[in-house]
Amino acid sequence: MRRTRFRWIAAVSAVLLLNAAVDAARRPRYGGELRIETRAAVYSADPAEPAADPAEQALKTALLCQVFETLVRVDGRGQLEPWLATQWTHEPVRKRWIFSARTGVLLHNGSVWEPPDGIVPAPDNKPITGILRDLSRLVSAIVIRGPDGALAGTGPFRIARWDSGKMARLEAHEEYWQGRPYLDAVEVRMVPALRERLLDLDVAKTDVAEVQVTDLRHLRQQGFVVELSQPTDVLALLFENSRIPIATREALSLAIDRASIYRVLLDRQGDISGALLPQWLSGYAFLFRTERDLPRAKTLSQGAPRLVFDYDREDPLIRSIAERIAVNASEAGLTLRNGGGACDVRLRRLPLMSRNAEQALEDYAGMLGISLPMLSSPYEAERALLKDFRVIPLFHLPVAYALRANVRNWTTISHLDDVWLDTGTKP
Amino acid sequence: MAGHWDQAVTFRTKLLLICSLTVTGAIALDTGAASLATRTAFEKVDGQRRLALLNQFEREMKVRGAEVLAAVQRAAASDAVLRIAAEANRVDPDFASFYNSAQAVAQNTGLDFLDVTRRDLTILSSAHWPVRFGYRNDWANCTPCNSSAAFLARIPMPDGTTAVALAAIRAAGDVLVIGARRLDLAFLKSLGEAPGVRAVLWFSPQEVFDSNGPLRNPAMLEPMAARTMHDGRQSARIGDEAFIAVPLQQRGRTVGVLLAGSSLREQLSLERAILWIGVGVGASGILLGVLLGWWTTEKITRPVEQLALGARAVAAGDWAARVDVASHDEIGELAQAFNRMTGQLLEQRERALQAERVAAWRELARRLAHELKNPLFPLQITVENLQRARTARPEQFEEIFHESTATLLDELKNLRAIIGRFSEFAAMPLPHFERTDVNEIVRSVMKLYAPQITSANIDTVLELYSGELTIEADPEQLRRALGNLVLNAIDAMKHGGTLAVRIRNHLEGWARIEVSDTGEGLTQEEHQRLFTPYYTTKQRGTGLGLAIVQSVISDHHGKITVESEPGKGATFFLDLPATQSSGERV
Repeated sequence: MRRTRFRWIAAVSAVLLLNAAVDAARRPRYGGELRIETRAAVYSADPAEPAADPAEQALKTALLCQVFETLVRVDGRGQLEPWLATQWTHEPVRKRWIFSARTGVLLHNGSVWEPPDGIVPAPDNKPITGILRDLSRLVSAIVIRGPDGALAGTGPFRIARWDSGKMARLEAHEEYWQGRPYLDAVEVRMVPALRERLLDLDVAKTDVAEVQVTDLRHLRQQGFVVELSQPTDVLALLFENSRIPIATREALSLAIDRASIYRVLLDRQGDISGALLPQWLSGYAFLFRTERDLPRAKTLSQGAPRLVFDYDREDPLIRSIAERIAVNASEAGLTLRNGGGACDVRLRRLPLMSRNAEQALEDYAGMLGISLPMLSSPYEAERALLKDFRVIPLFHLPVAYALRANVRNWTTISHLDDVWLDTGTKP
Repeated sequence: MAGHWDQAVTFRTKLLLICSLTVTGAIALDTGAASLATRTAFEKVDGQRRLALLNQFEREMKVRGAEVLAAVQRAAASDAVLRIAAEANRVDPDFASFYNSAQAVAQNTGLDFLDVTRRDLTILSSAHWPVRFGYRNDWANCTPCNSSAAFLARIPMPDGTTAVALAAIRAAGDVLVIGARRLDLAFLKSLGEAPGVRAVLWFSPQEVFDSNGPLRNPAMLEPMAARTMHDGRQSARIGDEAFIAVPLQQRGRTVGVLLAGSSLREQLSLERAILWIGVGVGASGILLGVLLGWWTTEKITRPVEQLALGARAVAAGDWAARVDVASHDEIGELAQAFNRMTGQLLEQRERALQAERVAAWRELARRLAHELKNPLFPLQITVENLQRARTARPEQFEEIFHESTATLLDELKNLRAIIGRFSEFAAMPLPHFERTDVNEIVRSVMKLYAPQITSANIDTVLELYSGELTIEADPEQLRRALGNLVLNAIDAMKHGGTLAVRIRNHLEGWARIEVSDTGEGLTQEEHQRLFTPYYTTKQRGTGLGLAIVQSVISDHHGKITVESEPGKGATFFLDLPATQSSGERV
């Protein structure tokens, strides 16, 4: 009887010990330097300077939002929440909003962030939601410029080294008000060539590499961990020549066989979409048409001019999709011929830079150079934006990263403070 | 025309021309024959070269076709294709899994183009145009499609161009493997290795492949290519190349044309060289011919020219002309005969002149006797009457003596006049030539006889020469001759009429004075004896007037003729040469 009890106690103890060991193994560890390779390149570390293209702006925002923080930020659900500001009140007399600064926030240079009177005013020139969206953007981040030009922020990482367009080294901010990040440092190398990134991953020259969604199969076969974000980037056709008739634009929209491209070229990654905002963000993307209508496309394309078509030829996925679009278009009687520089229609990949629907639409409108109509809902605004087929959304693509086995808790590049390296696991 | 040729071209020139034409003709014939022989030889060789190129193309196509077929067979047997075939048969095939498979298989098997398709030619995976999955292969051109031998295919490319390739089809389970290798410039170059020979593959004006590199002007081959595609094999020359064109068939359809061309530059260059050599030799030959001909004709034509000159001299009146030809051939004999002839003519002329002189003297003596006899008879009668009157009728002797002496004096005066005119005719001096204005002579004569003309109720028509017409003449003698003619005309128009004097330049180097009247005209006998001295139709006349005119004209080396019919007046024509000294006409 006692022997049986002892056996039970031993067994339970063993299980508890094992669990504890597993828990210990799973518990985040501090330390380590994470190496990341990205496709896009960022040239300026100054949040106030806008980037040259959307891909750069997306990466810049993702990196620098972890260096320079804003009064307000967008949370995971797309809602605006207080961040460096704790609350805000309206002063009707002085027609301004008063944002109360959070206390105890230390800057990267060791000083305390203390705005005058502990407040940050903002003019009352638009609805508060608009003001909050503006304040949540990187350009509105709290940046202290030193006499030597050095920039100091309040984020979990500080800029240790910046090689414009090539490399950025971020080091942990020990006194971060939310708590030090796990990683000691993050080195971001900007490597445009996919082949080079894959090679570096293979030879362990990097821990994380941005990859194409079409490489997932192959990478998984090789034993790499692949993490996909939600479908965020929208792949769309943009008519840069406003003189192209609407009928031609609609014909092209109806001629594209999205299903085949999705099935074969995208390997069923991402989503087919007729909307700018992804379904998971807006909830109404399915209302925008995506089906092919070849007979109607042929009818609308009669008398259509030849279109000069441009796309990123360095990106093999974009190139394949563009060529397929050209084949689909020719079936409908439309001729798309390759051309660089000034073109009629361009295939673009536009990153999603905010989880707030209104802010995201504003960002897309800015990227596309189109003015966003002031309508009551994002759906109506987006429908107005897309009704003349000047923009033809095709797919929403996730951003894919291949990771070495020791990288833990990776979600996206904009959440490096949650990432840690498991030194017990062989990379 | 022929007559003009005969007149304008000398015998020597004709001879030289004949020699030159003979030489030229011979050389031209030789050059032509050489050129023709060269062309024939070149054409034969070029034709053989082109045929050899065509044969070589066929052989190469067979070899390459076998290679393509073997490569397609390997592709069809590859694991990748088998996987595609297996995946394609599933209910929901994973097309993404073999999207790039065809590229890998094509690389491994050395194919430039590879489509793996279903049996209905729907593309499952494409090497050269991956994004055409799901579309129908449009270059295999087979319905239904099964394994096939190699065939020529025109494959559309993503950039809108068309590639030409040798293709084959193999079945692999439920899929077809359609592979091809490009017919590129290297293949064409291997056909046309020989210099001056090239191969051109023609599919359309925009799809032309030349072993020598890009064609500068593909449009120049278009007509021949179009004819070949329509009518079959053709041969033609285009520019400086000769082509043979054969149609290229694919499954009974003509898909293109192979043109085998050989350069004609060497042939043309040689022909040009032959031509220039011929021209050079011909020119040299002509020059040599001219020189030889000149030397030869000098030997032949000079004696003939001398004969001709001699004949001309005789015709001009120089019967003493002689031809000095020393040769002993027929020309020499001809010259001697000529000399003999002119000698005989001269003797005959001398004898004739002598006889004329004798006849003239006889005539003169007869006329003189006749003229003198008339006044002498009354003289004799008158003296006899005086003698009779002195003896028979002395009382009337005084009266008869006065009458008779008056008659004697009249007859003596008549005698003196007759003798005076003879003296004048016999003592006519030789003309003293000087530049004389014919218009001026005529004007002065008409002015001199104007009163007589007017008193005879005769109208005058005076047509002087419009320009200046001068001749070498003795103006006095000419006035005298013209005056005699005017007087004769006045005498011929007893009842009035029209006297016309005209000056013409009807022959080069001659002046003609026409004197015409509207008088009684001349009978035939009068016409014949008109210029005989002492012949007259007038009651009172010596008959020497026209003889004097003739003598003057003759001394001026001219000619006088008359046209007349009874009742229609008479026209005298005085033809006078412009020069007298050298004997050549102006």
